[in-house]
Formats: sequence, C-alpha cells, structure tokens
Amino acid sequence: MSIRVDVEGVAFTYPGGTEALAGVDLVIPPGRRIAIVGQNGSGKSTLVRHLNGLLRPTAGRVLLDGADTAGRHVADLARTVGLVFQNPDRQLFSGSARAEVAFGPRNLGRRGTDLEAAVDRALVAVGLHGAAWTNPYDLGFSRRKLLALASILAMETPIVILDEPTTGQDAGGVARIQSIVAKLAADGRTVVAISHDLRFVAETFERVVVMRAGRIVLDGAPAQVFDAPNWETLASTYLEPPLVARLGRALGAGSTPTETALVEALHARRRPVP
Amino acid sequence: MRGWTGPLVVLAIVVVTATVTRIGRAMRPFVLATIPLIASILLVNTFLYPGAEDVLFRLGPLAATGTGLTEALQAGLRVVAFALSVAVFSLTTPTDDLLADLERRGVGRRGVFVVGSAIRTIPRMAERAGEIVEAQRARGLDTEGSWLRRIRGILPLAGPMILGAVTDVEERTVALEARAFSAPARRTVIRPIPDSPPERAVRWIAGLGAVTLVVLGIAGVLRLP
Amino acid sequence: MTNTAADRPLEGGLLTLAGVRYQYAGASDWALDGVDLSVEAGRVLAVVGPNDAGKSTLALVASGLAPLAVGGRLEGSVLLGGHETRGLAAHEAAQRCGILFQNPSTQLSGTAHTVWEEVAFGPRNVGLGLAEIVERVEGSLAALRIEHLAPRDPARLSGGQAQLVALASVLALRPRCLALDEPTSQLDPEGTRLVGEAIRRLAGDLGSAILVTEHKTALLERVADTAIALRDGTVVARGTVREVLDDPELVGLGVDPPPAVRLRRALAAAGVPADVRGRALAALTTLDAPGGAEARG
Repeated sequence: MSIRVDVEGVAFTYPGGTEALAGVDLVIPPGRRIAIVGQNGSGKSTLVRHLNGLLRPTAGRVLLDGADTAGRHVADLARTVGLVFQNPDRQLFSGSARAEVAFGPRNLGRRGTDLEAAVDRALVAVGLHGAAWTNPYDLGFSRRKLLALASILAMETPIVILDEPTTGQDAGGVARIQSIVAKLAADGRTVVAISHDLRFVAETFERVVVMRAGRIVLDGAPAQVFDAPNWETLASTYLEPPLVARLGRALGAGSTPTETALVEALHARRRPVP
Repeated sequence: MRGWTGPLVVLAIVVVTATVTRIGRAMRPFVLATIPLIASILLVNTFLYPGAEDVLFRLGPLAATGTGLTEALQAGLRVVAFALSVAVFSLTTPTDDLLADLERRGVGRRGVFVVGSAIRTIPRMAERAGEIVEAQRARGLDTEGSWLRRIRGILPLAGPMILGAVTDVEERTVALEARAFSAPARRTVIRPIPDSPPERAVRWIAGLGAVTLVVLGIAGVLRLP
Repeated sequence: MTNTAADRPLEGGLLTLAGVRYQYAGASDWALDGVDLSVEAGRVLAVVGPNDAGKSTLALVASGLAPLAVGGRLEGSVLLGGHETRGLAAHEAAQRCGILFQNPSTQLSGTAHTVWEEVAFGPRNVGLGLAEIVERVEGSLAALRIEHLAPRDPARLSGGQAQLVALASVLALRPRCLALDEPTSQLDPEGTRLVGEAIRRLAGDLGSAILVTEHKTALLERVADTAIALRDGTVVARGTVREVLDDPELVGLGVDPPPAVRLRRALAAAGVPADVRGRALAALTTLDAPGGAEARG
C-alpha cells in the first residue's frame, strides 16, 4: 500500500522558456504527511504535477517505489497518485454528487458493489453523503471543493496530493480536511499538500518543504522550519511564520509552531517569563 | 485579359498597402492558409474542366486542359486576392478601435461588449481547457490511449467547459450590473478615432465606386470579370 | 486618522436593512429570514457565520442587486443613503452601493487593455464627461494606492491586485456604501493584507459604510467596528466586533475565533497562571497589529 516517492534532480522548463524547477531533490518515505509552501511561481504546482505524470522532467527523474514514472501514462499513474486541484469547477460535470465521485474509480476499473462502496466511503468522509443525489452545481463552492476531494478519495490511491485544500472553507470545512488528512495517514497513505495557510500547515503536517524560485530552501518539521533561525530565509520567500511561532519566541517559550505547542510550553514553565 | 483584371488590380492594391504599412511579413499566415484551397482548385479545374478540348498532357484517365488551367489560375488568383484583402483589413485595424468606432456610431454597447470580450475570452478559455484536461487526466481519464477510449472523454472535458462558461456568464452579468452597464446613458468615448476629410473622401469614393461597378456589371454595360 | 463621519449629515452613507427576507427565484425557502442591521458612514460591519448561512445573499441584498439584477423576492426594506432600493433600477443601485465578490477574474470586464480603462468602465457606462471620468478614475486608484497599476494589463495581475482593481472600478461610481463578499477568500496572505488595508482606508478616508463577510476573523478583528453572526438567514449575535468574536457560541456556529480569543481560552483551559496569560496576550497584540497599534479611525 504505502509508496515511497523519490524526486531526483528534477528540473523543468516550460516550452516558452520559463525555468520552473531548477533541480529538486526530495525523498518522501511511505505514509508521511508533507506540506509544500512558497510564493506563487516558486514551483510548488509544477513539482506536484511531476508526481502524477502531468509534467515530465526536462532533467532528472521521479520514482514511485523505485519505478521511474517515465513511460507510464497519466491514466496509469492515477492508480498511485491522486491529485485534487484547487478549483473544483474545472472538473465537475455529472448530474449528481454520486456520479461525480464514481468517475475516478470507474476509470481505474472498479465496478458494481465495490465501486458503490468506495463512493459511499468517500462521500461520508467529506460529509456529503446526505447530498449524494444533489447536482454538484446546487452545492455551494466550499462543498463543491469537498466533492472534488471525495472524487479523488474514492480512487483510494496510496498517495494523495491536495492543492490549496482550505481556500474558501469555513472552520467546519477546515476541521474536516484536517481529519481526512489524519485518517489517510493512519491508513498508511502519503499526503502531500500545497497551502499558503501556514497555521493549517503547522497543525496538520509533520514535515514542511519551503520552495523558492524552483528550488527547495527549507525542509523539516514545522517546529524547525518555522523557528527563529529560519525566519530570514522565510522572509526571502515572502512568507511570514505563523503568529504563534513568533509569539513563542517573543515569550522565550522555544519553538512553538502551533497553538497547542505554545500552550504546552507556557504551561510547563514553572516560573514567570523574564 | 478578361478574367485577370479584377484580381490583379486588387492584388496590386494589397501589395502597395502592405508595402507602405510594412505588414508583408504578417500576411504570411493568411497566404499559407489559402494553399490547400488553391491546390484543390488547380487540380479540379485543370483536370476536370467540363467541355475543354485543348489537352496539354495526360495523367492516366485524367487529361489536363489549357482552358482548365487558365480557369484554375484565375480562380486561384481571385481566392488569393480576397484572402489578402481580408488580411490587410484585419492587420491594419486594431479590434478595439473598430469596436470603439462602431459604438460611437451607434452600435449598441451590448453588441460591442460581446464581441470585445469574446475575443479576449479566447486565451482565458484555452487556459481553462488546459486545466480541465489536467484535472480529468488526474482522475484516470485516458487521453493517450485508443481513439475509442478518447471518445469517452468528450463529456468529462466538454462538461466542465460548458458549465463553467454558463456559471461565468451569471457571475459576469451581475458584475456588469454592479458597474451600471445597463444605464440608459450614451457611453462616453474615451478614445476618439481620428478621421480626416481625405480619409472620408476615399471611403465615399470607394463605396460609391464599388456600387457603380456592380450596377454597371449587372446592367450589362461592363462585362463582369 | 480623523473620522469625518461626524461632519457628515446622518442621511447618506448609511446602509440599513429592516425586517429583510429574501428568496431566490425558483427557491422554496428564504435565504434571508428576518435581518435587521445598520452601518454608519465610516464604519465597517463584519458578517460571520458558516457557509450557506446567507452571507453572500446578504451582500447581494445590501447592494440592491438582489432582486434588481438577479431576480427573486424581497420583503422588508433596504435603505441606501436613506433611499429605498425597491424602486430603483440596477444601475442606480450600483451608484449607491458597490459590491465586490470572491473571484477577482469574473469581475473584470474583460474588455479593457489597461487598469485605467477598466476603472473607467463604470463612469463611462453612465455617460459622465471625460474630465469627470479622469477625476473619478484617478481618485479611485489613489484611494486604494494602486496608481502604479494604471498602465498594467488587468488580465495579468495577481489575485490581490485584481481584487483591488475590481474594487477601484466599483468605487469609481462613488457609492456611499460597499458590500464585500469574502473578498480575500481566494487570495494569499499578501493579497489579504492589501485588501484589509484598503477596507480600513476606505472607511476612514472616504467615510464609506462597509459591510464585509469573511471567514478570516483575525482580519475582521483588525478592520471592522461592529459585527453580526448569521445562521440560516437570521442574525444570531450582534455587537462590537470584539464582543461578537469573543462570543463562546461562535465556535458552535462553525466560526473560528481570532487568535487572541483562541489563545486566551486555551491558556485558561490549560491552567496557565494569569500573569503568564496576560503577558502572552499583550505580546500577541503587539505582534498581530501591522506596524504597531493601528488607530481605528
């Protein structure tokens, strides 16, 4: 089930001449939760498109469990890598939420009760089971986004990539996505997310990769990446560390990338902060 | 010389205009676009012209005739003349100026808006189409397999495109209303197109001249080329 | 920053909804079911609530575009600058209350070569004279500090910049009120910051009455004066923005309180001593306010 991802020296230049990736090396052990952050144009979207074959490296290679993605069709790689795009309206075309979610797994060859069960599981996971027969365009934008997520979840791929999953979501939606990520990881699947919401990233992912100008400039746990020694690097990518990380440092409470970490650090301290 | 005057005169005008405005290079795609049509005209007319007797050479069961060839060349020349005059028009007339002028002359703002935004919509739609293809391929839609499998892709690819366009229209309509698009006032012109008396004179002469030629031709006074 | 609202007569610049119920065309239930609110000149009212609570509908109704441009049935009264929107034409409402939506790209006319032309779109539509148009365009660009974007191609702007251009083009019609529907939802942190600053400036400098619906409560805490919480088309809480965002019921409503509120509760729940709590929250206030404490106008 769990698949290891190896990105080896991947460079990519668009046909027009823009160099989007300038040599990226990344190893994702199976079943990890990893977030990719960076400004628009840093190469995040370009990088994840290499994982499912939508883009092919102009140099270097991508290995899934040791097997090169070169020579495999995108439709074939979709069995291994599910990619949820940012805008759900670029994929919805069915008359009902059920039919929409069934599209992906059906393409992968699932049929009958097996298919229906996968669809049900996915709809339940995103909280849309009650709206199974609703027309997708009768759902609000944030629920359409969840529907798009369900349509990939139903494919039950070992690797799931999410592109800006929380934009447009209310607090309930964000919480649901966080629990979906946790469940995927518990099932041994690898989760990769692109996000500009650094609080969501720090709370949900165990590893953060920061990109700038087609390269990885920081790679580590949130507690490390969002800590003071890296603030200058983060500033160079026009990212601001999460508020609680800055607060933790200001209070001398160490590296506190999440609220939970900050509260624990302050609670653990017996003496007041100097 | 009967069949040649028309197209040759037009071509002369086109060549002069193109040289003066330096759009010669840009005309190339228009010329290239006419090649398939001209090739078929040449072939059909040269070999299959009905009733022609002056055979030049034979190719199997088909005979190339001098009459056929002449007709073919004339017809081809007419096609080129027509295509190039269209090219000159579109290459020397910025769309926005054309639309702005039409609006100033009273063509409704809705019509002008539709044409103007449709033209600019094209690159946006192309980009959107690319995103749709990517999203559906990521769901296992096979765009690289057999043609039978690719046909199944029509609905998942066209569906979001059409639905997206419809939703777009709804949102855009509201946004237009929020900018008082349906106000009854006459829209202010902010880029007046300069129009000089000599240009106006040329327009009138050309227009009247064309009408006169056609009338004389139909009346039989002038022989149509 | 002085508040010029005090110099302005009360009528004009005021947005009031009284007993408003609204139903979309062809719908069976009321999207808004009894809403009362009032926004004064120079003030910003935040609207919070879960998705599908009716926030977007509220913005459309406040601007008059529902029902004037989208149809549907309206009960109760919507007053823009003291005038009922009921008898107005859509283009008249547009000049009293502007509206901004989530998606920057569908709001641009798609027919303008430059941002300048785009912002001139509205004034041109109402047939203003050229000198007046120039003044309005330059005024709007200046109000949002985007004069430098004037020669740019609207199709090639970042999300945040496009939203500011859309806002400028609406402002060019000089509405006294503005309804902003999740204006930063599709934007990154930088874009969010730009729009947030613009909102503050519009209320302060132009004395606009602004209604903003948003999920980002941290942003609302910074830019809004008063707030209401919406659920199922009705107002379930109202007060100053601090009061509403502090309401413990908010979490149950699916609204995420701002960092200060969350932190205060989490620290208290963990049993962190009061002085440490106080120090932490004080430090948070200093950190969170851009460029230090910002005068609320």
